[in-house]
Amino acid sequence: MSWDYLFIQAANGAVIGIIYALIAVGVTLIFSILKIVNFAHGDLYMLGGYCAYYVITLFGVPPLPAMFVSMAALFTIAIILERLLLTPLYSDATERKDEYGLIVTFGLAFFLRNIAIIAFGPFPLKPPSFISGVQHFGNLIVTNDRLFAGSAGIVLILALLYFMHRTIWGQALDAVSQSREAAAIVGINPRRFNSFAFGVGAALAAAAGALIAPIFSLAPDMGVLPNIQAYVIVILGGMGSVLGSIIAGIALGESEGLFTAFFPDPTRALAYTNAFGVLVLMIVLIFRPNGLFGRRHLRME
Amino acid sequence: MRIVEGRHSAAACALLLSGLVIVPTLFLGGSPVRAAEPIKVGWVGPLSPPGGYAEGALMKDATQIAADEINAKGGVLGRKIEVSYQDTRGQPEEGTAAAQRLISQDHVVAITGEFHSSVFLAEMEVAHAAGIPIIAVDVWALKITAKGYPEVFRVAPNQALIASKYGEWLAASGFKNVAVLYEKTDGGQSARDVLLPVLEKHGVKYDVVGSDPNATEFTAQIERFKNHSPPYDFFMSIYSEAGAYPMISQAYTLGFAPTPHAGIANTGGPAVDPTFWKNVGEAGKYLVTEIVGLPKTAWNDKTKAFVAAFQKRFNQTPSPQAIENYDAMWVLADAIERAKSTDGKAIIAALEKTHWLGGRGLYTFSTSHTPDWAYHQFMEAPVALVQFDKVNQEPEDAPIIWPRDIADVKYLYKKPGE
Repeated sequence: MSWDYLFIQAANGAVIGIIYALIAVGVTLIFSILKIVNFAHGDLYMLGGYCAYYVITLFGVPPLPAMFVSMAALFTIAIILERLLLTPLYSDATERKDEYGLIVTFGLAFFLRNIAIIAFGPFPLKPPSFISGVQHFGNLIVTNDRLFAGSAGIVLILALLYFMHRTIWGQALDAVSQSREAAAIVGINPRRFNSFAFGVGAALAAAAGALIAPIFSLAPDMGVLPNIQAYVIVILGGMGSVLGSIIAGIALGESEGLFTAFFPDPTRALAYTNAFGVLVLMIVLIFRPNGLFGRRHLRME
Repeated sequence: MRIVEGRHSAAACALLLSGLVIVPTLFLGGSPVRAAEPIKVGWVGPLSPPGGYAEGALMKDATQIAADEINAKGGVLGRKIEVSYQDTRGQPEEGTAAAQRLISQDHVVAITGEFHSSVFLAEMEVAHAAGIPIIAVDVWALKITAKGYPEVFRVAPNQALIASKYGEWLAASGFKNVAVLYEKTDGGQSARDVLLPVLEKHGVKYDVVGSDPNATEFTAQIERFKNHSPPYDFFMSIYSEAGAYPMISQAYTLGFAPTPHAGIANTGGPAVDPTFWKNVGEAGKYLVTEIVGLPKTAWNDKTKAFVAAFQKRFNQTPSPQAIENYDAMWVLADAIERAKSTDGKAIIAALEKTHWLGGRGLYTFSTSHTPDWAYHQFMEAPVALVQFDKVNQEPEDAPIIWPRDIADVKYLYKKPGE
């Protein structure tokens, strides 16, 4: 195998990994603030993709501004959903909050998936490319859409990291994630930040959906696999660690791509790709039961 | 005695009262009114994820058109047909539950539908146990009819009739080294098991790769195919799910197929769905796929009427699966009418004697067990391999390349640039 082959497979793995990271980082954000795993996150990613598609096709908006419109729309929808469905999580009257969060987000996932079939139709749809065409690197070819998705994903992740570490709102989110009571004492309203975290997580998922749509097409069930992969990434990175989920997302995308490219038995490589991702998770958890970055998170708690 | 007389009077009154109640009830529940009760027929198929809900929706719509037409003509045995639709989500356990609901709760007299072989295999076990006839619509695995259940009939072609055609065509076209990518489902594995021996028989080399049916990212695998030595000259995908679209797009943009050096085909159905071109664009040109209906030149009046009715009602062209389900509903109605009964055994006996002209030709069902998959199979089910030679081409307008007796072009495969 040549270096070119390794390079192109690594580049493709990185793009997929960045998309994984964009989805997973939202799950992490929601988990660290609301203390629930959002099993409807993949379906918010699906909604984001469709939202961008209809903004492009109905209003003639170019793909990049449509992505921002989709992020804003999903931010708003997510806040409404959080207020409607997750309020009982903050009430002392709810005894089993973990189970409530699990059931309500699962229910939301099924609802969104099935309503999407009615609203958007069952057939896959594909929006126009962000930048059409391909780039040639010697014999190797990478589509502009993949390069754009990877680049835009990196920009969004860096913007999130900047927001989390350098702005007062980001630091307030961090404070709520560490201790709701202590945050409340210093004047931070945890309820407001619950909604905000859910909205930011959904907006990032929407961006991922809009970026991936010209590559994989849109389908109402496109969020099923990312739901599972995001959960794997969040555990791999360490529950609640934003940086951990970013690194774990990229690592998972890379390892899946390279596994398919280099597994010695070419007839089984593709079929075992997802199993390989879970195998990576199991090995990491044997040696680091709290995930790659779990230790720091626990100290924060 | 008076007491006895009084008892007699009371008994007479009770008898009279009960008569007043029972006699009208008998009339109400008796044959004149019951005759107007609809005959219930079950439909099974995927209408939500993770199943092939896009194809399921088309099949459901086509079934309803058939039911409405049958009812508009006076129904069956003087009664209306009522279809109970069950979403099986592409899951065998949901298929079992759906068949049980249809039989035990809805008391259907027969079942039709389904798009996934693995789900139909679960459903037919329930129908077999209950003695209820079930017509398989778009499921291709051989063992469906090979099991030899008297209740099971199939209007679709099976893998022996489809995948073998691909094998014969690949060999005749001169392809020497084929990359086969199949989905790991009953249908996908059945196609693989039929295709590979045909390729071996003709000395065509191949490598075969399995895939999760929900996969959408094939870049690493396609790069692997592309860098294989000796190079593959054909990419054969056996893939019925939505992932077929990114697969075809990725094969094209990565320069693997179609090229002057490597051809491409997809079997399973997505290439004949309404949004195929919106998803693949230029990548779909030169793709080979199958249509499991009559070629346009052989359309009869029923085909034309159904296509027009479907387009008028749903504003889209029906897929071959839709025509299959439309015909299946009519075949069933015809059998019930001839059986003059809704009894399962009578309907099965009538189905075996089917001789009905539908939108896909003249329907008959084999009663031979040789080969084993022939039992209750529509042996003349039409299958044609077509190759798109234009972007946005309707499958029915694409040139037929195989079998040769119905081919409408001289070439076997058109390479890009030819």
